Amino acid sequence: MKKIALQILGIIVLIPAVGMATLRVENQNADGPSILFPGGEMTTGRLHTSPEPDWGFTDDIQLVELQLNDPMASRLIYVLEADGRLFIISGYMTTMLGRLWKEWAFEADEGNNQGVLRVDDVRYPRTLVRIEEGDILDGVAAKLITKYGGAPNASPEAIARTRAGIEAGNSWVFELIPR
Amino acid sequence: MKTKNYLILCAAVALATSMSILFMPGLSDTVETRMLSWLGNNARAEQPY
Repeated sequence: MKKIALQILGIIVLIPAVGMATLRVENQNADGPSILFPGGEMTTGRLHTSPEPDWGFTDDIQLVELQLNDPMASRLIYVLEADGRLFIISGYMTTMLGRLWKEWAFEADEGNNQGVLRVDDVRYPRTLVRIEEGDILDGVAAKLITKYGGAPNASPEAIARTRAGIEAGNSWVFELIPR
Repeated sequence: MKTKNYLILCAAVALATSMSILFMPGLSDTVETRMLSWLGNNARAEQPY
């Protein structure tokens, strides 16, 4: 009886596991990521070649699509504008979860940092540069707290705490520089 | 069920699951939407990025 129960349990676990693996593989070559799974090379959308826009419009956008070229993969990610510059942030970086889930951030930090940002169907060729220190992190921290933390204002204490987390390497901030 | 038969059943179920998702129109979107809904209901966000 116990054996039959375990066999049924095995089938119940097998179906979603195979389903998730299939969806992940299916999405690997898609034009951009899905909500849950990374995608492939982003090929559609106008290629931006004119001067840099005012990135303030991203304050109204929760998620953007970011592609790294080596290895070629794209994912959805939060975006932060501060002082007219554009940033992305990757959390959980000192945890095992971060090492497994945020492999792209390690790749970018190691130099495989050429990619494409797609916002509102426009593709912006970018280079990711990790920012580990500097006063710009105050602006990034403030925007993170108000945009994604749900706080109406960012107090100096909250900014200092968030900035300390970035400088300690708990979260990695990358600036998206045009290339 | 004998182990050999069980493993054959597992392989068949895995194959049927994969083929269904790959070739049934709309099924992959439905599965992903359901999964996202389940995650949304069960996951607790501690850090928003």
